[in-house]
This record gives sequence, structure tokens and C-alpha cells, in this order.
Amino acid sequence: MTRFSRWLFEPAPLSRVALLRIAVYAFVVVDVLALHTSGWYHGFADPVWYQPLQAGRLLGLPAAGVVLVEVLKWGSVGAALVAMTGRLPRTAGWAVALTWSWYQYVAFSYGKVDHDRGDFVVALLLLPTVGIAHLRDNRRSQAAGFALRAVQLGAIATYLLSGVAKLRFGGPGWVNSATLLRAVVRRGSPIGEVFAQVPFMLHAMQWVLMAAELTSWVIFFLPERWRRLMVLAWYLFHAVTYATITIAFWPHLVMLLAFLPLERYRDRVAARWRARRVPATAP
Amino acid sequence: MAGPPGAGDRTVTRTTSGRLSRPGLAWRVAVTLAVVGLAVNGSVRGNDVQWPFAPMSQFACGVDLDGQIRSTYIEADTTAGTTVRVPLTAGGVGLGRAEVEGQLPRLVADPALLQSIAVAAARRHPGWPRYTKLRLRQEVSDLRGGEVVSTRTERLADWTVVDPTGLR
Repeated sequence: MTRFSRWLFEPAPLSRVALLRIAVYAFVVVDVLALHTSGWYHGFADPVWYQPLQAGRLLGLPAAGVVLVEVLKWGSVGAALVAMTGRLPRTAGWAVALTWSWYQYVAFSYGKVDHDRGDFVVALLLLPTVGIAHLRDNRRSQAAGFALRAVQLGAIATYLLSGVAKLRFGGPGWVNSATLLRAVVRRGSPIGEVFAQVPFMLHAMQWVLMAAELTSWVIFFLPERWRRLMVLAWYLFHAVTYATITIAFWPHLVMLLAFLPLERYRDRVAARWRARRVPATAP
Repeated sequence: MAGPPGAGDRTVTRTTSGRLSRPGLAWRVAVTLAVVGLAVNGSVRGNDVQWPFAPMSQFACGVDLDGQIRSTYIEADTTAGTTVRVPLTAGGVGLGRAEVEGQLPRLVADPALLQSIAVAAARRHPGWPRYTKLRLRQEVSDLRGGEVVSTRTERLADWTVVDPTGLR
């Protein structure tokens, strides 16, 4: 095996996949019911507004109707709830992948496409391939390692390719343009208004963003500790973005979890919890 | 192939044997290469139509420091005699502002499309007064040196709703 494929298939604990699954499928439920509901509303929009995407033309997907969006909505919620239990990981997982992705397609085929949701499709398609993964099963598996690695790659590719798109559409001058000011003017928040008063801040944020996106791939070459710090830095960045322009790339935030040793965090929290409870229950 | 006692069960051996079979490795590598290829292709020369392999173009366009920022809105007269902003949100009329903006050329070329907005509002919100007239407008903020110096309104299209009280 080459070094690259050893890295791509580096075995990872099944329990980590089990925990990531809970996060991913819980997110699907919240997302469908509360966060990203434009797909559902498109079921009520006049079909005249339907602008089929390439995938839809290829698969012959029709304009949305009320029945279709209800099936996709409750289908993805139902399948995600089953998948969260860890039962039927393949059947339930692929059912979520199908219904959720189609639901996003409905959301995106009426004139606007969001770009933070393509990578989540990767997670939904790969998590089922690991098969049964128990929360307490710390044995390592290559299938688990590959699924986690692919999710990591998807998350980082989203950053890198966002930087590429900025260079392509905005040119190198993007960093000195008024893109973030535009976002604040169009959908400002109180904090965003403050930033708009100090254009230097928005300007500096653009430099930081471009630099961070174009160098995001470095994360794969960092030692473990730095890798986690970098993930933390991205979470901070997204919190600031949300505060200024009320945009959050929710599914992407879940994807970043694939970088973290979730099972160790859980064990640590559980140990602390037990340590606190034992003296309390002692006579 | 270390497995726990009773690992004869198919699913258990598949997940716990640790190593992937040769075909298992092969399809994963093939799919990875295909997805990477499609994503790079989409980013370098594709467009939104190729989603999920579209360029990540949100916020990617540069905005000229001495240029303009445009926000689209629709204003409506109602059967109650009031003038209101049409909520361009998915929950309002089934379409968001960015979606209306994405299809703006169609709307300007054919203002009759605005009729479907009045219909959607009547259907989704039967309790609201019906829209009688719709005015598609843009608020234009002029920039100088990266700061907003003035704002004005531009007229894009007008539509008198057909049979406002009979909408359903």
C-alpha cells in the first residue's frame, strides 16, 4: 500500500463513527424541521418558478408539489430518527441520503443555490458504508477511517474551493472589494452595523478569510494538537460570521466534527460526570 | 482477522475485521477520484446548475468600492387600501429574495409572472388582504471608497393583479 492510501484508509474507532452518526442524523432532523425549510415552501410555489438543475434534468425530477415535499420532509426525519438509534445503518442511512439530498435539490432549483450543503451529501452517502458501529466499540476499522477521512476532505475542499471561486469570480482584487459590506447592507445584524461603521474591519476580515480558505488544506499536515486548534479556529470564524451577517453554514459545522476524537471527549465528559456524582451519592 | 466471540454474524465480521477487502478498497478509491474530479471541474469551469458539483460562488463576486449594492423588494397595494412589503421569504410567498433575484431577468421581461406571487400569498395566507398592485423595485446603495454614501430606489416592473378578490 502506498503512503497515500495508508493515509486515506487509516483505521479509526467505530465508536467515533457511531457518535458522528448521531450528530449528523440529529442535525438532519433539526435542519429539515427548523433550519432549511425553503424546500418545503417550494412545494407551494407556482411550478413556473422551477429552474431544473442538471441533476434534475438527468434524473427527470419534476417541479415540486405539496405531496412530494411532505414525503421528502417526513421521510428524511423518519429515516434519520431510525439511523440515530444505530439500527439498520445501511437501509436507514441511504434512505436519509436519498430523501435529504432530493429535498435540498427542491430547495435549490428555484433560482438560488447554497454552497455549504454539497459536502454534507458526502457524509450521508458514506456513513452507511461503515455498517454496524456501536457506541462502545472502540475497535478500529478501515471502513470507518475512510468515511471519516472523506468527510474531512469534503469539509476542507469546501473551504479551498470557496477560495478558488473567489479568485475565479472576484479575481485577486476580491480581498479589497466591498463584498462583506454588501452582505451587511443586505442582511445586516446589530453587530454587522457596527462593523459597517468601521470598513477597515470588514476589509481585514476578507483578507483573513481568503488566506484561511486557500491554506485550509494545511490541516492535513499538522500534528494532532494543532489540527484540533485549527478546527476550533474555524468554529470561531463561523461564530463571527453568524454574528455579523447572520449566515451560518450549519451542515458544514457538523462535518468539521469528523476531525475530532469524539469518543475520547465523550469518555472524558462521562468520567467527570461520574466523579462528580460519586461523592454526592456517598453517605 | 481478530473478532469477538460470535463474530460469525455477517454484519459483525464486516465491520470489525478492520481491513477492507480489495474490491472494498477499489470502489472507495474510484468514487473519491470521481467526486474530486467533478468538484474541481465544477469549481474551475462549472456553474450553479451543476449542484452538488457547483462552484462555491456565494460571496465570491467582488464588489467595486465605488460601485453599487442592490437589494430587490416587491411592494404591494392591498384590497384593504394599505401598501405593504411583500415578504420575499420562503414562508411568505414560497420564494426568497435571492431566488427572485436569481430569476430577475425573467420577471422584468415578463411582469405577468408577478401574478403568481399574488396567488401564492393568497394561498399561503388566506387571512391577509389580497394584493391588487405589485411593484418590483431595487434599493440601490451607492458606494464611494467602500462606504455607503447615498441610497435610491429603481423601478423594475409593475403589475396590476388580475381578479385580486378571486385569487385562490
